[in-house]
Amino acid sequence: MPQPSVTYLPFVALAAVLLPFAGSLLSAIAGRRSQSGAIAITAIAGSLLTAAYVFAQVWGNAPVHGQWQWFVIGETPFHVGLLLDNQSVLMLLLVPLIALPVHLYSVAYMKGDPGIHRYWMYLGLFCFAMMALVVADNLFLLYVCWELVGFASYLLIGFWFTRDTAVQANKKAFIVNRIGDIGLLIGIAILYAQFGTLDIRTLFDPHGLVAASVVADGQWIASGRSMPAIWLTLSGLAFLLGAIAKSAQFPLHVWLPDAMEGPTAVSSLIHAATMVAAGVFLLARIFPLFNGTALMVMACIGVFTACMAAYFALTQYDIKKILAFSTISQLGFMVAGIGMGAYHAALFHLATHAFFKCLLFLAAGAVIHEMQHLNKQYGLEIDPQDIRGMGGLRRQMPLTFTVMAIAALALGGFPLTGGFLSKDALLVHALEWGAIQPGLLRLLPYFLFAAAGLTAFYIARLIFKVFVAPPAIDRLTQIHEVGKWMLVPMLFLAACSLFLVFSLHPFDVGRAWLTQGMVPDTLPPTLPAAHTLVPVTATLIALLMAWLAWKWYVKGAYPLRTTGLLYKLSLNQGYLDKLYDLAVISPVLRLSHVLREADRYLVDGTIDGLGRLGRLLAALAGWMDQYVVDGTVRLIGKIAYGLGNVLRRTQTGRVQYYLFTMFFIVLIVLLYQMIIHA
Amino acid sequence: MNPHLLSILIFLPLLAAVVMLLIPTVQKAAYKYIALVTGGLQLLLSGYMYYRFHPKGAGITEERLYQFKEHLPWIRLDMGGMGRLEIDYFIGVDGLSMPFLFLTALIMIIAIGASWNMQKQLKGYFVLLMILNMAVMGVFSALDFFLFYVFYELMLLPLYFLIGIWGGARREYAAIKFFLYTLFGSVFMLLVIVGLYFSVTNPETGAHTFNMLHMMDPGNYAPNSLFSWLAENQLFGVPARLLAFIVLFVAFAIKVPIVPLHTWLPDAHVEAPTPISIILAGILLKIGGYGILRICFGIFPDMALQSAWWLGLIGVVSILYGAFVALAQRDLKRMIAYSSVSHMGFVLLGAASLTAEGLAGGIFQMISHGFLSAALFFLVGVLYDRVHDRDIYHFRGLASTMPRYTALVAMTFFASLGLPGFSAFIGEAFVIIGTFNSESAHGVLPRWMAIAGSVGILLSAAYFLWTLQRMFFGQPRFKGGQEWLAVLKDTSTRETLIMLPMLMLALTLGIYPAFALEKINASVLALVSLVTGG
Repeated sequence: MPQPSVTYLPFVALAAVLLPFAGSLLSAIAGRRSQSGAIAITAIAGSLLTAAYVFAQVWGNAPVHGQWQWFVIGETPFHVGLLLDNQSVLMLLLVPLIALPVHLYSVAYMKGDPGIHRYWMYLGLFCFAMMALVVADNLFLLYVCWELVGFASYLLIGFWFTRDTAVQANKKAFIVNRIGDIGLLIGIAILYAQFGTLDIRTLFDPHGLVAASVVADGQWIASGRSMPAIWLTLSGLAFLLGAIAKSAQFPLHVWLPDAMEGPTAVSSLIHAATMVAAGVFLLARIFPLFNGTALMVMACIGVFTACMAAYFALTQYDIKKILAFSTISQLGFMVAGIGMGAYHAALFHLATHAFFKCLLFLAAGAVIHEMQHLNKQYGLEIDPQDIRGMGGLRRQMPLTFTVMAIAALALGGFPLTGGFLSKDALLVHALEWGAIQPGLLRLLPYFLFAAAGLTAFYIARLIFKVFVAPPAIDRLTQIHEVGKWMLVPMLFLAACSLFLVFSLHPFDVGRAWLTQGMVPDTLPPTLPAAHTLVPVTATLIALLMAWLAWKWYVKGAYPLRTTGLLYKLSLNQGYLDKLYDLAVISPVLRLSHVLREADRYLVDGTIDGLGRLGRLLAALAGWMDQYVVDGTVRLIGKIAYGLGNVLRRTQTGRVQYYLFTMFFIVLIVLLYQMIIHA
Repeated sequence: MNPHLLSILIFLPLLAAVVMLLIPTVQKAAYKYIALVTGGLQLLLSGYMYYRFHPKGAGITEERLYQFKEHLPWIRLDMGGMGRLEIDYFIGVDGLSMPFLFLTALIMIIAIGASWNMQKQLKGYFVLLMILNMAVMGVFSALDFFLFYVFYELMLLPLYFLIGIWGGARREYAAIKFFLYTLFGSVFMLLVIVGLYFSVTNPETGAHTFNMLHMMDPGNYAPNSLFSWLAENQLFGVPARLLAFIVLFVAFAIKVPIVPLHTWLPDAHVEAPTPISIILAGILLKIGGYGILRICFGIFPDMALQSAWWLGLIGVVSILYGAFVALAQRDLKRMIAYSSVSHMGFVLLGAASLTAEGLAGGIFQMISHGFLSAALFFLVGVLYDRVHDRDIYHFRGLASTMPRYTALVAMTFFASLGLPGFSAFIGEAFVIIGTFNSESAHGVLPRWMAIAGSVGILLSAAYFLWTLQRMFFGQPRFKGGQEWLAVLKDTSTRETLIMLPMLMLALTLGIYPAFALEKINASVLALVSLVTGG
């Protein structure tokens, strides 16, 4: 590969990363004056330009690595550095490319919000953290950015902090993500203990330390260090835990649906490129670390999540909730793809998904925005996010309908879209992977097909219920198309959802430039038949599902009972929140209360008891002192006094008494002598 | 450079106290200004010393590697058959103590700032504060065990009165509890000091000595003395050195505090006035950690290695127990007090790991906790000053009424729960990494301790964020209704100014930890190799 000739690239990339942060800082300093978002938009646009330049320079070339010493702890130096390779520059470009339309859209969407100045600040921080995460050259720095992404999302999800649901949601998001953070930290600790470095290149290069380490006799041996082999698996699982939390995989996906409490523009960012993508990116980044067990777990979790979330999405009524579960499901596809070794396909899907999912949210936001407007205008009380209250909007909002339909087609995996290419890439690879698996693992790819079918159904349901089905109320005809500030970003994203961005060939995924840049070293043997069969089958399934949704929701031939167990299970999201409440949160709180009481009565009680014992002993000693010790002394005194008192009587001064006494004593002595001699 | 800088730093407050005593009581304002000037001078001086401190000055066992040192004979007494008594005025600074001297100066000036509106018996208050200041500086600088003990005990007296006179409703209970707890530890410490004195001789003069550095060298112990490394004496069926180590550890661990010797802390914190809470959390707890490292690890490295597993366990238990109990508190100040127990547990865990990462992380955590806990207690004080209530459930939606205060609280909470970019993150992350590394490095701590410890990081997010949610977000609703709404004014300029340096420091050290690490690394490495014999 040719070396790019420029050495200042790390600085350009650094500028791309730091620009949103600078924008955020400036917004913070400007405070309430920065309402227009001009600073933030300029910053993200500048970031996009620089990132595009870096991308053009690096893509397809050898990686560029720039680092500076950060600090030394003990004798180990830690660095701040940028590792610019195909993976990272792709993401570096993707983030501002998604973020810029979102910024522009927000100008109109957030207009008039009293906290708008905070909004721009948080948004900049969010983009900065994500962009820093993707270019970080070592895992410690990545961990730093990882948590910052979580923090920024906390701020944005709880943006409307007077709403109780919003602050509960952001707390939940942060704490659930913290569980993953701990996984990441433990993973980092394992690698550090084993290899003494956290540098991504040193560790994960094809000839890096991880590749060079071996498992022998139950020991995982690296240069000079070793630990039991189980820790190799555990390290993979620890990082996987981090990704599961961040990328909302089962069982830690529960924060994402709640995170819908944030502004819709934020949701679009979280779901597209800035937050949930981080987990998938991490898995691709450290792929060589995963051994067979870890990969198998990853594939199973991914497949299960893809199916589960698609199933939950079937019955949701909140337009944003449907999209949230859709994201979880699509992330499941990506995680499964990585678990099956196809991280190039997973990242490809990540990129295509970023565009159409962002667009879906923005379009949903447009609908919600206009519904709220309608409410305000006519004093109505329709829930602006409930799809049961919508219908027929395609006539009033044709452009929104068009772009959302394009995004929906992409999500459903219909031909001519980017989603078609990337989903098929994943499915083809899954089949090839399944062909060489033992036992039940062979079935995993077919579950992915099922999830893809459900996807087509639920997104068709959404589109039909909102835009095509008969209007729920007559007033809906009074609704308007959104303004151009919101339309233009959506049109741009719609263009990006089409196949042309990724490949000149609409049907052959192998020709997509994006996957060609990152093909893994080891792939299962190709099944040529799959390359034609999979797209055809998947498209047919999707068409069938869309037709079914058409019949049910537009033609009104709805055949299901809404009281069935399966229906309720889907509607209530598997009752997982309730389960966690019962099985985790309540016990933790109960334990903390028990410990608090134990602390007060047992630990402190012992101390207080000791104190009381001390006082009791002191009282006892006091009593002893007063009545025994001092009593003895006083007794002696009393005796002396009494004796003295008695003897005093003898000192009368009368000679007769003295003579009598003398006589008496002589008499006793005489008597004594007589008794002795007798 | 003035060779007496360290002495000046220590005794400047004493001078201030004398001046204060000479000023008539009617000049109320004078005291706080004198205190402020003294604190300012100390801050400048310690900042200058920090700047001049050479990173290669490892110190620990080697006198020549100490900086700013003064070594003068103090008490020389011929005790006939028992040899000559040799007590030195021996002070000096190494990487272990340098950060704490600066921290002390900083916390002191913040405490003085927090005392600005104090009304009651100002003369006594500020004089005691100055004496406390001197004693703490002395503890961090003393290298002669006798001198150390003098300063150590001298701390107790002003604290007892500061809590007992200026505290809250149950102040006398809290003060006596604090006093007895600490005294319990230090009385036994005195016995060990005497034992050490009779075991160690100064190799140059042949006299018994209190010099700590001599106590760290196994060669200075008389072959048959009580604490001799070779004799392996037993006391009450326990090896004498182990017993001495345990006694010293308990004495310092009470200060840290460790579970289950922690119950003085919530009471003392809750009853103490805000400035004293700040000093307690900001500095006094660190004396415990400092003592464990300097004295327990320094003088009994063999026993430290042998007991590391237990220390690690105590650390883990403190982390988890403190966090769980904090989760269940209603009183904001109590919640923060228990969070201190949890966060200081990391210090012990890191120290017990006996790895450079863990130890440095532990020391970093102490520094970080120094100003973060001070900030937390100060913020509680801000609220308490206004409405005299601290119950979490009596407040709601404070963000709408006090936005600046909320921003400060949120930043401090996130800093405390270990958000990257703030100092606590570096401390906690490296304690966990170091603990994990411990088994690979020299098999001291098992790996599960690192994992258990990291659960504490999760719990800290839970109790801090839950508190944020309950008190600050949502629609405003206060127990005191309109009356409270009227007095719940946003933070004043003075209050914001006091908060800023602490947050700035937390940020600076979080973003560029090298500011602290480069000063402590050499000492940490020296201490690790002393204990592990590496």
